[in-house]
Amino acid sequence: MSSLVGFLSLVFAIGINFYLLLSKYIFKFQKQKFNLFIRFSSLLTLLSFFSLMYAYVVSDFSNYNVFQNSHSNKPLIYKISGTWGNHEGSMLLWLSILSIFSFFFSFTKNIDESFQRLTLMIQSSLHILFGLFIVFTSNPFLVNSILVNEGLGLNPILQDPGLAVHPPILYGGYVGYSIVFSIAIAGLFQNTDNEWLYVAKKWSLISWTFLTGGIALGSYWAYYELGWGGWWFWDPVENISLMPWIAGLALVHSLMMVRGEQAIKKWIVFLSILCFSLSVFGTFLVRSGILTSVHSFAADASRGIFILLIFFIVTGFGFLVFLLKEPKKSNALNLLFINKVSALVINNILMIIATLTILLGTIYPIIIEVLYNKRISVGGPYFNSTVIPIMIPGFLLMSIAPILSWQTNKINNSKKYVLAFIILSVLVLIQSYFLDFNTWGFVGLLLGFWIILASIIAIFSSYKIKINIKFFKIINPHVAHIGVGIAIVGITCSSVFQNELDFNLNEGDKFNVNGKTVLFEKIETTNQINFQSLRGKFLFDIGKNQSKEIEAGKNYYPVSKMITSEAGILHQGNKDIYFILGDQKNNEWFVKVLINPFVSFIWLGVIIMMYSGLIAVSRR
Amino acid sequence: MNRIFILTPLIVLLIICFFSFVYLLSGKDPNKPPSALLNKDVPIFESSSLYNSKDIIKTKDIKNKKTLINFFASWCSPCKIEHPLFFEIRKKYPELYLLGFNHKDPTSDAKKYLEDDGNPYDFVGVDSDGLIALDFGVFGLPETYLINEDGKIIYKFMGPITMDILKNEIEPLL
Repeated sequence: MSSLVGFLSLVFAIGINFYLLLSKYIFKFQKQKFNLFIRFSSLLTLLSFFSLMYAYVVSDFSNYNVFQNSHSNKPLIYKISGTWGNHEGSMLLWLSILSIFSFFFSFTKNIDESFQRLTLMIQSSLHILFGLFIVFTSNPFLVNSILVNEGLGLNPILQDPGLAVHPPILYGGYVGYSIVFSIAIAGLFQNTDNEWLYVAKKWSLISWTFLTGGIALGSYWAYYELGWGGWWFWDPVENISLMPWIAGLALVHSLMMVRGEQAIKKWIVFLSILCFSLSVFGTFLVRSGILTSVHSFAADASRGIFILLIFFIVTGFGFLVFLLKEPKKSNALNLLFINKVSALVINNILMIIATLTILLGTIYPIIIEVLYNKRISVGGPYFNSTVIPIMIPGFLLMSIAPILSWQTNKINNSKKYVLAFIILSVLVLIQSYFLDFNTWGFVGLLLGFWIILASIIAIFSSYKIKINIKFFKIINPHVAHIGVGIAIVGITCSSVFQNELDFNLNEGDKFNVNGKTVLFEKIETTNQINFQSLRGKFLFDIGKNQSKEIEAGKNYYPVSKMITSEAGILHQGNKDIYFILGDQKNNEWFVKVLINPFVSFIWLGVIIMMYSGLIAVSRR
Repeated sequence: MNRIFILTPLIVLLIICFFSFVYLLSGKDPNKPPSALLNKDVPIFESSSLYNSKDIIKTKDIKNKKTLINFFASWCSPCKIEHPLFFEIRKKYPELYLLGFNHKDPTSDAKKYLEDDGNPYDFVGVDSDGLIALDFGVFGLPETYLINEDGKIIYKFMGPITMDILKNEIEPLL
């Protein structure tokens, strides 16, 4: 029953969107009515989504999708997240989020009526494209042809609270760019005043904040679930989320800087199209199964070709409109040797080069395989040696960008900054002299701390400190940059100064980690509702006769016959001690301990960036 | 100049779509990478027979004849599915030399498997530690290789072969 409701409302919503596309020319209805229809179609799409979720919650195995991906033994939260833990459901989530964005956009006030309508019509076209994709190739409401009373389970690696919310948040970012795309295209068609730029800014900030949260959650999940001790692996799926993120960052900055310059406007339109194109491209790469990873559910050429077609239509249309309807040229850019505009331009160029570098590395294996029938993989070494050096000058510029002037080459209080920079360099140099000197470590630390320090100096020397909302809004750009600085320090320390220790241990053995005694207490196996767990229990001596218990081990999921690793992490203020339980050989357990200094700074930095994103949404 | 700059995204789009499209149409499965050994010499191997440890087969023994090498094991259920097809191949192409490598299997299990399901192979070599499979770049069982008279690998298939694959991909090479 719920499947029927879900399917009908999905189809009906697509129908309404068709109707809306024709509305302007054939049915000629009023704005009010148009918006009502948009909202109605959004609600129908959500109804469709919640019907599927309901089928998951009540374990309705007459729905083929539920049968394939769920199990009645699963805890409720994973039944719910099971809704999007598979290809069909996740595409429906995609569409639902698209609807939600259209829904809220229809409430936007103070913008030109026909402009809003055109934007929503473009959204409707996107809804139709993806809706048809779901109906024809990825229908989650297929009825199970046989009667069964048990399902086949969910990919156990996805049974994790962090990951349960990762897809909706990430999609909030990906799909959020659809509205930015629609706004930009509508802006090209109408070529009206600059009002749309403010609207676009708000939505691109929302999308970017969601995307940041989604990527960070995925990355944090990889950190504690995959058990490799790292948090970023330059996996193709990570790369394709990073591309719209960087392009989106460039977009957000351009939108903040724009003062009606046509050249920047043109650039903004380009970035808006690019962000959404990269999002759709990411969807294509993951959903077509061209890339193998935990994200690809099933390789299916027809699905792949359908999404490739959507990608081609959307991107082709976007850039074609851009080509034919480029904004009029008028006042030139106020480029000086070093002012806000030139810093912005340089930073944007660097970000686009970084995006293209990642794009090249990601699609290169596909091109090579088509041309030479050879399988290669492009991994960390390529990205580390290209993307990071490209970004470094950008980071350097970023630290001073907020204090640059619009009109002149002058930097206020420049002496203060020079002095601070020199002191900081000496301090970092001394620090790296006493620790093992590492060039990347030195550069990363200097850069990270410099960004933090410069931002703090800027806050204190430019504004009167007050504790109210307005003040926090004014210093927001500096706060965002402090977040970046903190994240850079975290990234540098956790990757350059990571320490690895390997042990072969018997139960009851004591060993030494960082000068502290650790007791390998015992191995314990327990039966949980939907998996069996094997845990090594470690007692970590924290002094004063106290110790902390750490559990590291593996889970075995009998329904899908999969084993997942569960790292045990002891969070200390300045470092994470990361335990991985390996295999047993000759009665000895292999235990790997990683010491990751300052890794929590990465998450802290990301949280600050997201906070700034949200504050910036409310700032005009 | 400006025009070219604006055209670039469209050109890049076309290139990306073209390659992705060809990739999808070629039916490639990312889980099954192409073999690096294709059109290269067979790796050098030496293996004793499952039935008589003194009976040894070496790379040079399969020179000058077309050989189909199949990696299998009693514990591998997809192997069981493709197994009957080897009898058909045997019947249709009596000249083709069928070499089976029994992969990481206890001898008794392997013997029992071939007793129950029949033995289509001319020679069953033992690869108990999986070293031969390693040299061949075996990814997962079963895997099948076709070697021509010059001792070059001309075809490789991962997973159980089917009637379709036999007809459309292997037979044209025989």
